[in-house]
Amino acid sequence: MTVLDVRGVSKRFGGLQALSDVTFSVGEGQIVGLIGPNGAGKTTFFSTLVGLIRPDRGSIALDGRSIVGAKPHRVAAYGMTKTFQNVALFGDCTVLDNVLTAGLLRHDVQAARDEACRSLDRVGLLAIADKQADTLSFPERARVELARALCTGPKVLLLDEVMAALNPVEMREIMTLIRSLRDDGITLLVVEHHMRAIMAICDRILVLNFGKLLADGTPKEIAGHPEVIEAYLGQSMEKHR
Amino acid sequence: MKRWMLPLTALAIALLLPLLLDPRGYWIRVLAFTFLFAAMAQAWNIVGGLANQTSLGHAAFFGIGAYTSTVLLLKFGISPWIGMIAAAGLGGVAAFAIAIPTMRLQGHYFALATLAFGEVLRVVANVWTSVTGGASGISVPFSSPSLLTYSFKLLRPHAYVALAALVIVTVIFEIVRRSAMGYRLRAIKENPAAAEVIGIDTAKVKLQAAIVSGMLMAMLGTLYAQVAVFFDPDTVFSAASISIRVALIAILGGIGTPVGPILGAFFIIPLEELMNDWFSASAAGLSQLTFGLILIAVILWRPRGFVTLFKSLSSRFGGASA
Amino acid sequence: MEFVQAVIDGLLIGGVYAVISIGLTLVYGVMGIVNFAQAEFVMIGMFVAWFAWAWLGLDPVLAAPLSFAVAFAIGWVVQGHLIARVLKAPSVAQIFLTVGLLIVFENGALMMFGSQFRSVTTSYQTMSLSLGPLFVSLPYLIAFGMSLACGTALWWFMRSSWFGRAMRATALNPSAAQLMGIDAGLMYRIAFALGVGLTAFGGAIILPYATVSPTAGSDYVVLMFTVVVLGGLGSVAGAVAGGLAVGIVQALSALVFPIQLQNLILFLVFIAVLGIRPQGLVGASR
Repeated sequence: MTVLDVRGVSKRFGGLQALSDVTFSVGEGQIVGLIGPNGAGKTTFFSTLVGLIRPDRGSIALDGRSIVGAKPHRVAAYGMTKTFQNVALFGDCTVLDNVLTAGLLRHDVQAARDEACRSLDRVGLLAIADKQADTLSFPERARVELARALCTGPKVLLLDEVMAALNPVEMREIMTLIRSLRDDGITLLVVEHHMRAIMAICDRILVLNFGKLLADGTPKEIAGHPEVIEAYLGQSMEKHR
Repeated sequence: MKRWMLPLTALAIALLLPLLLDPRGYWIRVLAFTFLFAAMAQAWNIVGGLANQTSLGHAAFFGIGAYTSTVLLLKFGISPWIGMIAAAGLGGVAAFAIAIPTMRLQGHYFALATLAFGEVLRVVANVWTSVTGGASGISVPFSSPSLLTYSFKLLRPHAYVALAALVIVTVIFEIVRRSAMGYRLRAIKENPAAAEVIGIDTAKVKLQAAIVSGMLMAMLGTLYAQVAVFFDPDTVFSAASISIRVALIAILGGIGTPVGPILGAFFIIPLEELMNDWFSASAAGLSQLTFGLILIAVILWRPRGFVTLFKSLSSRFGGASA
Repeated sequence: MEFVQAVIDGLLIGGVYAVISIGLTLVYGVMGIVNFAQAEFVMIGMFVAWFAWAWLGLDPVLAAPLSFAVAFAIGWVVQGHLIARVLKAPSVAQIFLTVGLLIVFENGALMMFGSQFRSVTTSYQTMSLSLGPLFVSLPYLIAFGMSLACGTALWWFMRSSWFGRAMRATALNPSAAQLMGIDAGLMYRIAFALGVGLTAFGGAIILPYATVSPTAGSDYVVLMFTVVVLGGLGSVAGAVAGGLAVGIVQALSALVFPIQLQNLILFLVFIAVLGIRPQGLVGASR
């Protein structure tokens, strides 16, 4: 069952074509990786999906419902949310309050508090629930952000480099968490630079470069894809003969 | 147990104060206005503190409130208490009208826009002579003293009404702060984009805060009208004496905290009165000048901690801030 | 014909409005703060010019550079010692610092000069040139000429001089500018002092057909902000366009509305622009 359907999404900022005719669809319960060199448009794409940016052209449908032009809070209500690459926590609030606020989307304060505790427990941070958010380390903050996104009860979760600055142990924990989220029925789109992690957990990988979708396939297909290799490493040796 | 003791003691003292002061004296008037301005600052605090939008135009609501109840009383003989409700209604409408165009503005821009709104209303009130009496002002009709007609011979009852208003506005502030709306406002203050993404309708929440604040401010305008008995547009719609002063009281006392506006009012209002007393004999403008210098000095001393000047005190007594 | 006359009058006075307002937009463009006390420098410029006239017999138009210099000096001190300290503070603190300055300037003037209104009389005050059926008031024309001269000088300064280009660089990207050896603090000082100086210059030019008092500043607050917002906060070219536009709007509304309502029209334009197109007609948003 298609849960997210994207067609022909394009966005231009002044002289820069940030997204160019991006088209793909995602089935329920998939873990889809989104990779590409820096500046390829991955974060822009996520922002467009949740409604922070309005595309110039194209359609985006969540569970069959068109969400182009909907404000982010509507998109969240419909079941899609994202984490921020640079982590956008509410610094002056406690960890619990950060997550609780997300829970208010579907619950009252009391129930939201319970949901928040559950989400924090899921990411293993229940112990620091009362700490002030801006006193945390970067990996901790990334995890709180993940818990907060979870607490909105999403159907589709967009994770923007949640594994940045993690050591291998922490990375494995996040990977296990992502898989368990999928087992709970959440569909995930994951932007990541750690190739091994992406190859390991994703069912499918999309490759973005200069705003265009270069490739769409299984990890194995992508690994051998010449254009993908070229995008990351520059022109192949062949061409220089 | 301990947390309730301090506010309760303060309330007890506040209830006794009017009784201790000479009912015909000067200081009971200062006390009444201190209570009133504390309440006004608390109403502002909902928008300026919880929503973090520095409004310099709250006089707009205040003036609307003062004129609505007075005009209704003057032309239709409607009791000020009912007039207050009408004032609240119009204040809410005005808040809506102001909030919509200023929705996307931040910081300085927002302050500018709200300042302009306040000035628009001041000009309108000055010109709309048929309704407001224009620049020459309006007198609140006397009736025989009674609670029903909201008319008193002495100032003591007014002080108690102002105190009651302060308590009510503070309670409302606290309710908002601890409710879902409070959490949402805090999120919007910290990071509006993130707030949207997790499902907060930032526009709606800010609008709600503005309307609550505007309605309360308008009702306080009615209170003022009944105490002052005479006023004109340049007084009730004043950017300097109302809008800026009210914001200042909340900021100096502790923005976003329930006890901040109260501390701020008790510091600023009596101080202003004293300075006016000491200085007005010597030169016009000296007291205001000194006030301006003090303001600059305080901001420079704690530019970041300007709002935490009393916050450490406030958070010890009034519970956690934000 | 009345219409054309109003447009001409509006354009001429609009030039002065532009000069008065450029300072406000310059400060915002370079430093990111709205100087709520900016209008007080109109008053300061007017007073300097008035005293130059009363004591030295100097025509206000000739005294304008003097007004500029005095305001520049005041601005230099204020920026260096006061405003620089809150550049990194929350906007609330910045707003109330300049509000405090407004209070200090207005009441300081009140104490020094008293509250009475003063004005100047010049030989050419009531003269006008006639262009067919139209009249061009001489004071207006001279004011416009001075504004043009001032504007051109500023344009040259911003485009060609090292300081001007350094300021623009600082406005666009303070850290990159610093890496190039530009002292951002110095740039801010120059920008602020220049900004208030220009406003005072404008005040002096206006003096022949206005009255000065310590509260004169408040007459120009909304006007100044409308000009700047209309043209886009931060854009000098926008301030020029905005100034001319406001001048014309004001002149045209004088044909239709009584004097008390004219300010109201301006306010409404102001609010409309803020609500519909906050970046103004010309400028880009910061």
